[in-house]
Amino acid sequence: MFRKGMLVIGAILFLGLLGAAKEQIVVNSYMSDPAPREAFAQLVTMFEEQFPNYDVVVNTFPHEDFKTLLRTWLPAPEGPDVLTWFAGERMQYFAAQGLLEPLDDVFADGGFSALFPEAFRTVCTYGDHFYFVPQSWYWWGVWYRKSIFEELGLTPPITWAQFLDTCERLKDAGYAPITIGTKYLWTAAGWFDYLDLRVNGLDFHMDLMAGKVPYTDPRVRKVFEYWRQLVDKGYFLDNHSAYSWQEGASFLFNKEAAMYLMGQFIMDVAPAEVKDDIGFFRFPIIDGTVGVYEETPLDGFMMPANAKNKEGAKVFLRFIAGQESQQFFAEYLGRLAANRHVPPPDPMAREGLDMILASDGVAQFYDRDTNPEMATEGMERFVEFMMFPDRLDSILEELEATRARIFGQ
Amino acid sequence: MRTKWWVPYAFLALPLLAYSVWVIKPIVETFIISFTNWDGISKTFEFTGWENFKFLFQDHAFHIALLNNVKWLLGFTAVAVPIGLALAMLFNRQGVLANVCKSLIYLPMTLAFVVRAQMWSWILEPRHGVLNTFLSAIGLGALARPWLADPTLVTYALIAVALWGQIAYAMVLFLAGMKHVPLELVEAASVDGATAWQRFWYVILPMLRPAMVIAITISIIDSLRAFDIVYVMTRGGPFGSSNVLANYMYIQAFHNYRMGRGAAIAVIQFVITFSMISFYLRWVMREERGRGS
Amino acid sequence: MKRWRWVRYLFWVVITIIWVSPLLITFFTSMKSLDELLQTWWLPPRTWHPENFPQAWSNGKMGRYILNSFIITVPSLVGTLFLSSMGAFALSSYRFRFAVPILLVFVAGMLVPFQMLMIPVYRFSLNVGIYDSYLGVILFHIAFQLGFCTFFLRNFMKTLPLSLFEAAKVDGARDFAIYWRIALPLVKPALAALATLEFTWIWNDYLWALVLIQTDRFKPVTLGITVLQGQWIAQWNLIAAGSLLAAAPPVLMFLLFQRYFIEGLTMGAIKE
Repeated sequence: MFRKGMLVIGAILFLGLLGAAKEQIVVNSYMSDPAPREAFAQLVTMFEEQFPNYDVVVNTFPHEDFKTLLRTWLPAPEGPDVLTWFAGERMQYFAAQGLLEPLDDVFADGGFSALFPEAFRTVCTYGDHFYFVPQSWYWWGVWYRKSIFEELGLTPPITWAQFLDTCERLKDAGYAPITIGTKYLWTAAGWFDYLDLRVNGLDFHMDLMAGKVPYTDPRVRKVFEYWRQLVDKGYFLDNHSAYSWQEGASFLFNKEAAMYLMGQFIMDVAPAEVKDDIGFFRFPIIDGTVGVYEETPLDGFMMPANAKNKEGAKVFLRFIAGQESQQFFAEYLGRLAANRHVPPPDPMAREGLDMILASDGVAQFYDRDTNPEMATEGMERFVEFMMFPDRLDSILEELEATRARIFGQ
Repeated sequence: MRTKWWVPYAFLALPLLAYSVWVIKPIVETFIISFTNWDGISKTFEFTGWENFKFLFQDHAFHIALLNNVKWLLGFTAVAVPIGLALAMLFNRQGVLANVCKSLIYLPMTLAFVVRAQMWSWILEPRHGVLNTFLSAIGLGALARPWLADPTLVTYALIAVALWGQIAYAMVLFLAGMKHVPLELVEAASVDGATAWQRFWYVILPMLRPAMVIAITISIIDSLRAFDIVYVMTRGGPFGSSNVLANYMYIQAFHNYRMGRGAAIAVIQFVITFSMISFYLRWVMREERGRGS
Repeated sequence: MKRWRWVRYLFWVVITIIWVSPLLITFFTSMKSLDELLQTWWLPPRTWHPENFPQAWSNGKMGRYILNSFIITVPSLVGTLFLSSMGAFALSSYRFRFAVPILLVFVAGMLVPFQMLMIPVYRFSLNVGIYDSYLGVILFHIAFQLGFCTFFLRNFMKTLPLSLFEAAKVDGARDFAIYWRIALPLVKPALAALATLEFTWIWNDYLWALVLIQTDRFKPVTLGITVLQGQWIAQWNLIAAGSLLAAAPPVLMFLLFQRYFIEGLTMGAIKE
């Protein structure tokens, strides 16, 4: 009697264990916007259908807070299995500290080149190892109101001289030629990056990001000189430091301003009735001898070194890298998938992709390419320059002092 | 002595234990970190002695933050406390209307912080905000300014926003204190022919001492600790002109990956606040002993 | 002089309206559609969208989060009031050597900006095994609020006449009974005010819930509604609606408790 009882209990326990044998994968994500969040949730469901022995738990955090919390998770004894993050210096900083798990297994047998463009390789690696699985990316451009341009008989400018002329005509007609919201600083960095890329090229720009070039170098000053042409003529929105990027965009939507240098995600916030009236053009060419470079921030996933379920995480990451999941995500959101086999989801994305493919190289973005402390200092100085261009000399000196202190030269 | 010596300690044992573990120990850790170059994330770091403090001493941004905190201190103690008191005196009644008003004045404090900050951002917005629109409407358009974008004005604008909540807080403190003012004393003074002002100054105000001490102490602490409003509304901008110590500390520690330096700022802030508070409290306690309570 | 009463009422109303106007803007915001948000800024909505409220409730999963907020706030409140009143009683009613230093210890803990405590507290919770749980947050709030609460109550208890306690001792009462049956009831107004303030603060706490809770199903409402604020888009209309909903419990607390600490001390009623 007793033995039978034990057998029954044993069987129940065994079955219970089987049922509980679902492995858990914990993903911490910053995709707090409704659309990406939903897209990701559906991706997770797709994954669980294909791999039923895994149970994926997604914890979502507001974007800003995620960046702060990351610093508590990474050095702790145990952490989540998968994290959303950005490619480039921001990721490499952690890899350099040994806080990330190498993902070479995920890309075994030349998997990376099979899945992703070569251009992405450098920003997904550190040393000789992969640490990052890219998922989507977007392009930057100058977004403009087609109706305003039509009204004034303007066409998207291609050269700098044409751009200045366009601004002048817009200003005469009573519009703010360029809108921007610099409260959180990074939008100003977009201008710096593009001007530097157009004036000095990608190699110089990346050297500057790496702290190899002093900020007092005349080539850097040249960038500010061009910038100054716009500031002095008052082409930027008044009091831009009071506005977040989104509030800056509102002036484009209500037709008080005509152009905005911004990433593709601006379309996420454009009101429905305005969407069709917005187009974009490539940032104007300044020097015809310099190559044409663009900014393409890349988003994706990484694994902390203290992850509990590393094997499970790798299965998940392989799924993320695959064409099926990348296509789903890209189509849902109108973004560009990192996977090179996924076609662009709509005509505007096609345009963006073509622009990037026609370029000579890409950078990520100022605050994703350079040391974090340098980034903060740099961006603050950029905004100061936009408000007080006469302070250029002291601004360059302060930037240089910070650079020297951080990069130690 | 009828009371055994260990009785007060028995009462204090559990609170002190909890406090030491959750608060005091982390503070001590912070002090230690301020002497290192830890970036907040690596597993290793080095002790760098006074490096962080030396850096801050000559750091321009730090000086600005310090100066701004002084402005906050003046704003909180000189404005929030008196007006909070005035409001408490004004609304110290029962009755439906009084209760409704009191609740409405308290209501902002119950609203989620980010929402308050955002609403004020829209009020102070240069082109379409309430304030500038209102000023233009009543003919004072010349006074309209980009409140949050002008480096010379931004700190004052932020302090005003903070005061909006702080005054309500002071009001609640004083309302609580009112209950301890014995009605008989006030009536006696009135019978003796004291005017309303004299009743207030010589009878009520002294009896409000407990609440007053708390209000002033909290104002000092909160003004030197101000963070949320600055971080959410301007991030310390434009380019650092509205920085305060706590905001600067946060950016150093969590944006710039300089935890050691951030800890040093926290230490400095702690020392300043603690000196002021212990000075003030010791003065208060001397008064208390003088009265032989 | 009935006239003066109406003047006073008018004065109240005017001040309150001016004071509350930013809240009115919050209310307008909560009734707008996302598209209209940045077109009308602070003005009343062109079209009213009361469905924002149920939408904020379901998008923000507010039912669950509000429950969590209660689960966290109420025990924290009770715990901290209990412990701090004990400590305050000791500090105000007894003369002993370390009274002043201990008080300063409690005060000292209030001075540090919270952000610096983030990492040590997080580490501690992880090591002790209470990370990502109600208990971890509750214990933290109880301990952290002790500084202010002890300071606050000690100040009010200091005004209680010691003779009362002496008398009770003569009658043979034990110390704990004196604390529980005599001191506490006498500081009811202060306790009520403190309870209101503490409830509001713990309810509105954002930072510590963020640091100490990872899993969605434990999150309080302050975290819950901020998922409406994304990387690129802030749905201020829904956030405003959600915040107004979430503000209801603290306001109710205030209404409930304010009659304990707002005495009808009628200044000038004597000379009326």
